[in-house]
Amino acid sequence: MKRFSLGRGFTFVLMLTLAFIMLYPFIFMINTSFKSKAQFFGAPGHSLLSWQKVFTALPVGRQLINSTIVCAGAILIILAVSSLAGFALAKLTFRLSPIFFLGIVGAMLIPLQSIIIPAYINASHLHLLTGYWGAILLYSALGTPFATFLMTSYFRGLPDDLIEAAVVDGLSYTAVFRKIALPLAIPALVTIVVLQFIQIWDDLLVGLLFLQNQDYRTITVGLGALAAGRTTDIPVLMAGSIISAIPAIIVYLIFQKQLVNGLTAGIGK
Amino acid sequence: MALSAVGKQSSLHRQRRKTGFLFSLPALGLVGAFLGIPIYQALYFSMTKWDGIIAEWLGPSTYINQFKSPIFWRVIENNALLLLAVPVAIILPMGIAYVLNDKIAGWKIFRTIYFLPTAISWVVIGMVAMRFFAQEGLLNDLLKGIGLGFIKTDLLSSERGALLAVGITFIWSMVGTNSIIFLTGMATLDISLYEAARMDGASSFRIFRSITLPQLKRFIQFSFIITVISAFTALFTLIFVMTGGGPGFGTTTLEFFVYQSAFSRGNFGTGAMLGVILFFIMAILGSAQLLLVRNKE
Repeated sequence: MKRFSLGRGFTFVLMLTLAFIMLYPFIFMINTSFKSKAQFFGAPGHSLLSWQKVFTALPVGRQLINSTIVCAGAILIILAVSSLAGFALAKLTFRLSPIFFLGIVGAMLIPLQSIIIPAYINASHLHLLTGYWGAILLYSALGTPFATFLMTSYFRGLPDDLIEAAVVDGLSYTAVFRKIALPLAIPALVTIVVLQFIQIWDDLLVGLLFLQNQDYRTITVGLGALAAGRTTDIPVLMAGSIISAIPAIIVYLIFQKQLVNGLTAGIGK
Repeated sequence: MALSAVGKQSSLHRQRRKTGFLFSLPALGLVGAFLGIPIYQALYFSMTKWDGIIAEWLGPSTYINQFKSPIFWRVIENNALLLLAVPVAIILPMGIAYVLNDKIAGWKIFRTIYFLPTAISWVVIGMVAMRFFAQEGLLNDLLKGIGLGFIKTDLLSSERGALLAVGITFIWSMVGTNSIIFLTGMATLDISLYEAARMDGASSFRIFRSITLPQLKRFIQFSFIITVISAFTALFTLIFVMTGGGPGFGTTTLEFFVYQSAFSRGNFGTGAMLGVILFFIMAILGSAQLLLVRNKE
């Protein structure tokens, strides 16, 4: 019995150490952001200097709004097209629906880097790079395959009788979708929102290329550009990192369960 | 009467098919326009010399020339070396999930902490990792702390060292996702099997190997796929922030090479080709995985 609890104690210490390693970036960010540049290089004490400087180094407010606009736009489009397609492919099957399903969901296999160059040139010809639309549309297209997969499997779980009964009662299929199917699918929709929010909020590559106008940059892109540039003011970068990370962390802490559901949805039953 | 009922039935069916078709069009259109068409364009432009405006047709020789380039093989080698991180990024989380599943004290808090990096941008992770591995960073402080101060590494300044640093950061950021996958898997395990095995006097290790592992097969496969896909396609940001692909080509992976060729050097044709090669590597790995699963079943 004693040996047993000793083993458990050892495991617990191991898990604590690991927790420290996983939390280290956060501790480092917070600690460093409350230092001036000189303090970061060894001078003692803490200060608020970097927190004052970050607002001039990065247009934080503007970029947070940009992130919100891009996320909201893309997520709304993803929700609309994937819930419609998911309902259709699960419940309103037609001759071509297996091919449609394969075409939409199969696109998950295409790595972003494989299409980004032609997509970038196309968007530039269509003048989509100077506003928000290029990024919003590409994020939507990238999120749609998995979201459609999720919605299709969710709607497959609804009993057919439910839909047929409503149709026999005189509702159109559009009304059935709007009034019956969609309200039942809210848990799946929330999962998609959480998953996509974190993905789009945290993304660098698409934003870097598709938001050419600096005033339209998201906070992550602004930070990435600043970090890759010549800036060596680490405390300011860390203050910026904290600001950029907070929205995603809040969403994570509230919707942890939905995030897990979304991540493990691909395993199947 | 009966006829009109049949007529109504078939008109309903027609309506259902029509609605289904119309409902799935927006998703197909979006995916087709932004992912489908560009993958075909990439195939075409991969055989051209293209500056983004004018494309000059060169044919399949572009691929042959690329395969003759030592830089290309250096890049592939980097990708291959990063794959060495995959087993670690799977086995470590499996152990973590095993402990968490045992409901160790505070396991819910541990779970939240381990999974937290999933919410953080690679930009932020990369920035912190850079400071960690830097010459005046925590890694060297730690080494000094345990009396190994004479080692004083600067991982990011050497080619292999920088790749190692990227690999370690990659493992760190996969821990949460893979732990959650295994934790989900372990929650589905059949408990009665354990009790039977324990009654028969099987050791913990034996139980893990003979009962837990086989039941987790599906989850191991899933986490393997996710981790390999991430190793090939999710490290752009980390490399962009931490090393910029350097020193030299030390940390240039295929996905980073795509970006570099097109957007730093203006060779859009070469970039498109590298993207196509990446696509085929992923497709081959995907089908190999599928075949493996099929054969076993």
